[in-house]
Amino acid sequence: MAPAATTDTQWATGFDTVRRQRLFQNPPKDRTAYPTLAAAVDPHIDSFNAVFASGGLLQHGIKDIGTKVFLDSDPHAKPEDVGQQNRLHVRIQEVFFEKSVLPHTNKFALKNRNILPAECRERHATYRGKLRARIEWKVNNGDWQETVRELGYVPIMLRSNRCHLENMTPDQLVKAKEESEELGGYFIVNGIEKLIRMLLVNRRNYPMAIKRGAFTNRGPGYTSYGIVIRCVRPDQTSQTNALHYLSDGNVNLRFSWRKAEYLVPVMMVLKALVETNDREIFEGIVGAADSKGLEEKQFVTDRVELLLRTYKVYGLHSKAKTRAYLGEKFKIILQVPEDMSDEDAGTEFLRKIILPHLGSYDVTESQNTDKFRMLLFMIRKLYALVEGECSVDNPDAVQNQEVLLGGHLYGMILKERLEEWLNLLRLPLQDWGRRNDWPAFTSPDFQRDFLPKILKRTNENLGQAMEYFLSTGNLASPTGLDLQQTAGFCVVAEKINFYRFISHFRMVHRGAFFAQLKTTTVRKLLPESWGFLCPVHTPDGSPCGLLNHLAHKCKIATQSVDVSAIPGLVAQLGVSSKSSASLEASVVVQLDGRVLGFCSPKQAKVIGDTLRYWKVEGTHGVPLELEVGYIPNSSGGQYPGVYMFSQAARMYRPTKYLPLNKLDYVGPFEQPFMSIACTDPEIVSGDSTHVEYDPTNILSILANMTPFSDFNQSPRNMYQCQMGKQSMGTPGTALRYRTDNKTYRLQTGQTPVVRPPLHNEYGLDNFPNGTNAVVAVISYTGYDMDDAMILNKSSHERGFGHGTIYKTKICDLEEGNRKNRSSTSISKLFGFVPNGLIRAAWREKLDDDGLPLIGTELRSGDIIAAWHTVSYDPTSGEYINRDGQTNFFKYKEDEVAFVEEVRIIGSESGSDPCQKISVKLRVPRSPVIGDKFSSRHGQKGVCSQKWPSIDMPFSESGIQPDVIINPHAFPSRMTIGMFVESLAGKAGALHGIAQDSTPFRFDEQNTAVDYFGHQLMKAGYNYYGNEPMYSGITGQEFAADIYLGVVYYQRLRHMVNDKYQVRTTGPINQLTGQPIKGRKKGGGIRVGEMERDALLAHGTAFLLQDRLMNCSDYTKAAICRSCGSFLSTTPTVSEFERKKRGTGAVRCRRCAKLADGIESKSEIWTDGNGIRFTGGDDIAVVAVPGVLKYLDVELASMGVRLKFQVSP
Amino acid sequence: MHAKFLVQNFNLETANALRRVMLAEIPTIAIDIVEVLDNTSVLADEFISHRLGLIPLCAKGVEEVQYSRDCDCEGYCELCSVVLTLNAKCTSSEIMKVYARDLVVSTSTANEEVGRPVITDPEGKGSCIVKLRKGQSIHMRCIAKKGIAKEHAKWAPSAAIGFEYDPNNKLRHLDYWYERDMKEEWPVDEETANIDGREAEGEPFDYDAVPSRFFYNVETVGGLEPDQIVHQGIKVLQRKLAETIAAVQGGDNADGVDFGGAQSPQMNGAGYGGQDAGFTTPYGNTSVWGAGTTNGAGGTTPYGATPYGGGY
Repeated sequence: MAPAATTDTQWATGFDTVRRQRLFQNPPKDRTAYPTLAAAVDPHIDSFNAVFASGGLLQHGIKDIGTKVFLDSDPHAKPEDVGQQNRLHVRIQEVFFEKSVLPHTNKFALKNRNILPAECRERHATYRGKLRARIEWKVNNGDWQETVRELGYVPIMLRSNRCHLENMTPDQLVKAKEESEELGGYFIVNGIEKLIRMLLVNRRNYPMAIKRGAFTNRGPGYTSYGIVIRCVRPDQTSQTNALHYLSDGNVNLRFSWRKAEYLVPVMMVLKALVETNDREIFEGIVGAADSKGLEEKQFVTDRVELLLRTYKVYGLHSKAKTRAYLGEKFKIILQVPEDMSDEDAGTEFLRKIILPHLGSYDVTESQNTDKFRMLLFMIRKLYALVEGECSVDNPDAVQNQEVLLGGHLYGMILKERLEEWLNLLRLPLQDWGRRNDWPAFTSPDFQRDFLPKILKRTNENLGQAMEYFLSTGNLASPTGLDLQQTAGFCVVAEKINFYRFISHFRMVHRGAFFAQLKTTTVRKLLPESWGFLCPVHTPDGSPCGLLNHLAHKCKIATQSVDVSAIPGLVAQLGVSSKSSASLEASVVVQLDGRVLGFCSPKQAKVIGDTLRYWKVEGTHGVPLELEVGYIPNSSGGQYPGVYMFSQAARMYRPTKYLPLNKLDYVGPFEQPFMSIACTDPEIVSGDSTHVEYDPTNILSILANMTPFSDFNQSPRNMYQCQMGKQSMGTPGTALRYRTDNKTYRLQTGQTPVVRPPLHNEYGLDNFPNGTNAVVAVISYTGYDMDDAMILNKSSHERGFGHGTIYKTKICDLEEGNRKNRSSTSISKLFGFVPNGLIRAAWREKLDDDGLPLIGTELRSGDIIAAWHTVSYDPTSGEYINRDGQTNFFKYKEDEVAFVEEVRIIGSESGSDPCQKISVKLRVPRSPVIGDKFSSRHGQKGVCSQKWPSIDMPFSESGIQPDVIINPHAFPSRMTIGMFVESLAGKAGALHGIAQDSTPFRFDEQNTAVDYFGHQLMKAGYNYYGNEPMYSGITGQEFAADIYLGVVYYQRLRHMVNDKYQVRTTGPINQLTGQPIKGRKKGGGIRVGEMERDALLAHGTAFLLQDRLMNCSDYTKAAICRSCGSFLSTTPTVSEFERKKRGTGAVRCRRCAKLADGIESKSEIWTDGNGIRFTGGDDIAVVAVPGVLKYLDVELASMGVRLKFQVSP
Repeated sequence: MHAKFLVQNFNLETANALRRVMLAEIPTIAIDIVEVLDNTSVLADEFISHRLGLIPLCAKGVEEVQYSRDCDCEGYCELCSVVLTLNAKCTSSEIMKVYARDLVVSTSTANEEVGRPVITDPEGKGSCIVKLRKGQSIHMRCIAKKGIAKEHAKWAPSAAIGFEYDPNNKLRHLDYWYERDMKEEWPVDEETANIDGREAEGEPFDYDAVPSRFFYNVETVGGLEPDQIVHQGIKVLQRKLAETIAAVQGGDNADGVDFGGAQSPQMNGAGYGGQDAGFTTPYGNTSVWGAGTTNGAGGTTPYGATPYGGGY
């Protein structure tokens, strides 16, 4: 390969063994060979980059936060005592986010101070960079003073623009101890890889018509009709505004602010926004006075009239007065400075809360007009909804959804934290004032104290908050960020195998709120999802339909595209600001939730078509990614109009635009109203505008890997998507630099013979996930009944499915005492006691330094590492051991493990002695009976027997199957794809070719069977893949020919060794004497009520006795025959021996009488207190369940006595 | 290397027995114990050990090697094993491959051939065991022992054994399934079909017929010549039969003589190094039904006394 050549990124179905080997040996120095794979995580990385980019989300956020004003003087003082108040202005000017580097305290590393992600993984640390903010402050109208504050360390997303790995080539990545195809997109928190999961939320800036019964709970008169719009500010924070229809025709506006809900008459907002009059509002809602269809709009005109009339009671006539009224009401909750005027507070209210997508800071008059017009449009749509002129919008359909991206959420939280930080300055300011008798801000005291005493006392550690968010996924937020959930935002990016890992980044969740919903409508697979969410790849069980995965070609916009040309173009195409009353006469044209104007429905179609043509053509400044949602007029369908969307967080996907034969991006909003042909033959002339590039584009990465999935019954493909993620495969190639708690690895992974070209395109050969196995479909020996499978013993011995588990054990000397770390606080050190006795047995497992030897075998109870206590000697500066005792960390698990790696973990400063080591253990797991395997068609089975190869059936050429499965696995499951795979695999193996298994490639005329049958025929085999086989035991030919082929088998991570539970006797519950539960603790499996019923029904009394009594809380208890009580019996004590030893006799204390000295000695007994009794000797020992005695005690405490009759 | 042959005037039972013996009961030699002295390669100890076990070693004259379990030595000795040493260290910046040829026989052996790695490729390298980078090294003492494939597949002398009778299906053992046309869908091996004699048109079905002609195709793994496998197979089979006959006739001339034949691994026995027989528990062999405990059943568990029972 010539060095100058760029790395080829084109892939086909073939094995490409040499090419792959070369890529492995010499990772490319220019670019990755798998750009498609890298593109899969783009939404994560790009959204994170958008936060800190120049002009990015955080800068918008800072502008939105604005300047905070604080007043001096006692807030509790009487108003007349307060004189002139001084105003302290504080604002954030800029935020700096550094890459991850060593702290200044580290004096050892001189040259390279970068901390790479691999180091954080190995050290179980967080990959984070320092966050700083430049803040400015002034008092009254003085000069701005500035200072830079450090805000702690904030986690960095890998391969983002704050990560060292950004733009690294595969070659550099390998040198940075990463995978050659490291994708990034996640964070490393305490050594664990975490990612913020994508969340489906309502589509931004689009007023949705909703009918929801819960709306009526808002108060009397409220109906179930509403219009909801989720407005998104430039910094990606959102504010939801909702209009409610009241039964009398009135409309109220609802919003949430800091988790509380408020309702305002919409008229008040309208009047506050602009200087307007009733006529303008009337015509805005109903339509121009002379327009068509006005007379038919009786319904709307009546209600608008009422709207206008009822508002008169407020008596607010001008914009200024209305704003002042609103300001007065909302001043407190908006947290504006106390001395702000009501009118200004009202303006602030409109800026922050009302339709902020149309202007959230530096709001101009024209922006307020936009808000006004949008609000009018929303009222119009609301009346149309109530009237039945339009239908409701489905918030569960992808059409009305967008994706809340990890990076955006991260930015939102960061912005909120910054704002909270400034807001909370109030407390230390007041505290300072109270202590110093309320000096003025203008005083020199304040100048002196502000930085060191006041600002310092705020909680500046924003990094901690971000780390908390990422490690727990909990959102601790005073505003709730307009989201419906407070937990479950982050998940661990598990690297069980590569399929699972990559799936995490393509995962979109509907929201934790919907998981509790009893209705299943939200989980439904809707046709709108076509091409955006994979119909196959969703788990079954509780998250079914809520946790979806993006189709592999679906992209997500991470920034807004330039749409400055659109309003002009639309105006040229004939849009007027006046609307008419009827929808037949005029429909709306909107761009990102801004009303551009109205036009006739005919013209709307022209606008839609023209803009689409231009956008594909790339002319007139119409960006390709713009979504042009033309909704045609219909009778009672979705509210018509042209709605354009250009902002971030939208999904879009590539299709071919037929008029120009060029790429067009289609979004979910516009898709339902477009005609996209699935394949070329399906194009309908005059109707189809687009055609799919490939029908497999609708499937996720994983669903695409199921071979011939179009032959399978659909649920089986879903099961495969689950099992592919649970298989033991190859988690990565940089395993040596990973310290996951538990990783699975298949030692004998192979590339599948049967696979689609996408397998290569996504570079999945780098992470093999299974083995090609010779599979016979035959009912043989009976050990393959009920989804069991027989494994060839010789195959197993040659390494079939051999796997390994890597576990990491952390030995931390500081565990428990998380106090401030200093060199004097160290109390323990690793290693044997210096000059102490070292036993030979210790040295079997440990090296000189007291750490384990690499390769040592560990069994339960073996020692892993030695440590001893020390104390710091200040005179010599050394740590001295005083007790001469060596202590050990021990290996506590039952399985044999080997020490794979030992990591000595230092501190970031580099000056403290070692306090933590991490030991990676290797547990070999060769397949055993009970381990789970599956093909790629949702056909899982448990290995039931390792059958000796001489007894296995064999074909005429002597080939024995590796795996035998039962033919009964097929009729009900209808996984025909597995048959085809078997056929294709056999032909591929015979000819040495990789077979293309892309679904939808064959049809009725060209069947898969014929295609692969011919290949088999050419190789001298039966056309349909059958072969005569012979019994290995008798040598006789079977009466039927057997279906024999090559199928790719996955070994699943569910292994009996992790699951088996057995006990005879063992630990018991202290209170009841019954066995405890829990496999880890050696507990038992409960024989519960239903199991008991079954045993009873079978009449197996002896078994029942054994389970419920003998193996449970079998107890011999003493009982008094005469009073029938367990509780009154007491053991007696020998009276004359010095040590009060029990005599073994038991007496009843209740039936006994105090001895009065006249009885014979043999009749007298003594209790533990030395009191002498006589009598009470009618005692029997009975076998009872231990809980019976316990029940007796419990009842006795309530004053209920149990009396037992003992006979004979 | 193949041995393709046919056996005539034979019965199915014995024919299959020969096949089975050739698959699993001919003694060969394979690495059984690996002493890892040094391993800094990327592969794990047990993984390399497994690979070493599967390397075919020459089994010519393996009769002169004793089974380890029959040998008087403790562990292993020159009479019952061959020790091979693998010692490699990579010092160059190139990646070094360690091949089967690098396994060196390091003790005196029963004969010249036995225990040598089989190398058949033109470069004379043998199979690749492990790859080393600069500074990595591997040093292992591999003890090869005699054994049979019944115990572990690494002792298999043969790969697949083709076995066939009645290629023209005259016996009607098999009911061929076909979609449209049997002749088009099912391939015919002309050679065997002609040898066995084609079915004449309208030939009446002889339901008494039994298979008598068997086609074998033995492929060697490399340790033994294919013809040797057949010879050995017959020998082992004869010996097994002789043992059976001797045992059945009961001590006339056998007198408990062990013919020194191969032995199947015992499921719970010494074969795997003394596992317990399956009826002991980790808590000892006591049950709640008494036997052993003094202070009453159920009173104590291995974890200490329960608050009930005993103690009075």
